[in-house]
Amino acid sequence: MEEFFQQLTNGLAVGGIYALIALGYTMVYGVLKLINFAHGDLFTYGAYLGLTLLTSLALTDRLGFAAGVLVLALMVMGLVAVLGAILERAAYRPLRQSPRLSAVVSALGASIFLQNTLMLIYGARFQVYPDNILPAATLNVFGLYLPLMRVLIVLASVLMMVALYLFIQKTKIGTAIRAAAIDQDAARLMGIDVNRVIMLVFLVGPALGGIAGLMVGLYYGQINFTMGWVYGMKAFTAAILGGIGNIPGAMVGGLLLGVVEALGAAYISIAWKDAIAFCVLILILIVRPTGLLGERVADKV
Amino acid sequence: MKQKVWALVAVLGLGIAAGAQAADTIKIGLMAPMTGSWASEGQGMKKIVELLAEQQNAKGGVLGKQIEIVTEDDGGDPRTASLAAQRLTTKGVAAVVGTYGSAVTEASQNIYDEAGIPQVANGSTAIRLTEKGFKKFFRTAPRDDEQGRMAAQTIAKLGFKKIAILHDSSAYAKGLADEANALLKKSGANVVFFDALTPKENDYTAILTKLKGANPDVVLFTGYYPEAGLLLKQKKGMNWAVPFIGGDATNNVDLVKLAGKEAAAGYYFLSPPQPQDLDTADAKAFLADYQKKHNELPPSIWAVLAGDGFRAVAAGIAGAKSTDGEKVAAYLHKDLKNFSGLSGAISFDAKGDREGEVYRLYKVDGEGKFVLQK
Repeated sequence: MEEFFQQLTNGLAVGGIYALIALGYTMVYGVLKLINFAHGDLFTYGAYLGLTLLTSLALTDRLGFAAGVLVLALMVMGLVAVLGAILERAAYRPLRQSPRLSAVVSALGASIFLQNTLMLIYGARFQVYPDNILPAATLNVFGLYLPLMRVLIVLASVLMMVALYLFIQKTKIGTAIRAAAIDQDAARLMGIDVNRVIMLVFLVGPALGGIAGLMVGLYYGQINFTMGWVYGMKAFTAAILGGIGNIPGAMVGGLLLGVVEALGAAYISIAWKDAIAFCVLILILIVRPTGLLGERVADKV
Repeated sequence: MKQKVWALVAVLGLGIAAGAQAADTIKIGLMAPMTGSWASEGQGMKKIVELLAEQQNAKGGVLGKQIEIVTEDDGGDPRTASLAAQRLTTKGVAAVVGTYGSAVTEASQNIYDEAGIPQVANGSTAIRLTEKGFKKFFRTAPRDDEQGRMAAQTIAKLGFKKIAILHDSSAYAKGLADEANALLKKSGANVVFFDALTPKENDYTAILTKLKGANPDVVLFTGYYPEAGLLLKQKKGMNWAVPFIGGDATNNVDLVKLAGKEAAAGYYFLSPPQPQDLDTADAKAFLADYQKKHNELPPSIWAVLAGDGFRAVAAGIAGAKSTDGEKVAAYLHKDLKNFSGLSGAISFDAKGDREGEVYRLYKVDGEGKFVLQK
């Protein structure tokens, strides 16, 4: 039983990261019906920018741990958001009127471009975050091993997801995003600047992906220019699992995927972990083709 | 039909090779993972081979001609490798050095063989590569069965009884894990865990939690250094003190960086000697030159073995007094004995495998240094 709960917490920590990245996929899909394959690479940029800012500005030395990491997170979010907006402007907007497939190809191209740019700048070797930054405290709850950072990561992910949810549901801009997701032409007729809405989506989604990258870098310590691919695929899966286009769906899908992976590894086979996770995906899609929360079409973003 | 196409490619390749003979340079191909997840190995291979070629050219080249290195990227991927190999065969190379991963090399063997081009792999240790009867395939890397033997011996010598084996499903890691597993079971050891992780992930706590449940005395991990670094780091985070033994793919200076010094301390691995432990005068002089030029040590021994591949090829061409693939291969098989390579004496047996014991046991000390164990 103890091992079960340990595996559950292991899964939730991984799932929180998946969920944050999945939000970026799902928001873009909701508005544009486009799978932004470059999203995983924006996540990688978050990790690399975080490392560069952390080591060159020495934020945690000057401001202390909590304030330093907070400022760092804001800077990374801002920079990756700008990158996302540039990506939209350069790779997607020119293809807005083209068939959807062209935009998908453009997304794949952007992904390759971003990934290799990173390799040219930082080199192909693994980069490592300095390991004396995070408090290494480990909580011991009923014999479970819970590093403090892990708890913080899950809390931070949930906090950001809730904030995003409220932003989409309760604010005027959020309403505009939802309107554009339902029907772009009708939204335009109601006086909503759809281009600005799309730009906004490409600011918020990448910002969340970027912060996920920073968290992975801070917690796991090792980053590599190809890391966005694996995380991107998993997060994409999570988005579909939850019902793509649906924000709470991405959160549920991410956490569920993480937990299924961990429990599959624990009780069936480690080597078949991904196969198990994808079998679950297929089963869910057979029963609910729109994903877990995919039916509430009017809510989608 | 396919046969005919290959024959045509081979003829064309030979034709161009013959053309190259008439030209001023002798081209030697390098197939290396310049991109992808093994890119750091590939870039190290390229730096070493190019520096060696430069030095050889300064001494007058080979057969009175300058050597030109033609590099193709295999991306660390078998499909890309077969394309890279086809491109190299059409560029008139006399021989090819590379590549790193076993599955990647495997995808290119046929292509070079049919084109009549000798190939010297540097990092590919899978047994089957030299069991296929290719007459022009060589490797400067040792074979997995030798490493598997060493692993089983070492575990017995260190006195571990309950053994867990973890691989990453790659051809190399699984081969080594199977070999060690079979030998350990034969000698009556108790293998309590045998499974594979998924490489390129960041969180292995689920696997470590399961491993811990099996309660082994030692964990043999046969995969690569990025995963090994994370395993060590997360193992320490779990306050689990079990010793880890790794295979030669964890011999990379980045391992300690990835795991952190404290987590890496006490980690054992088997490997051919590291670049800085190479003790021949040749190797020392070359490493000094390399450090002067690139301001770092080569990333791993595998890159150095690519250098040895290049030197063997150059010696083969010089010895055979020809760039003809058959003659060079025959020379490498029969006449190249105890050739002074950077990683020690090089001789090839009839299969193209390197002769002699290569593996050593290393342990990471508290400073994060790899210390050769006696």
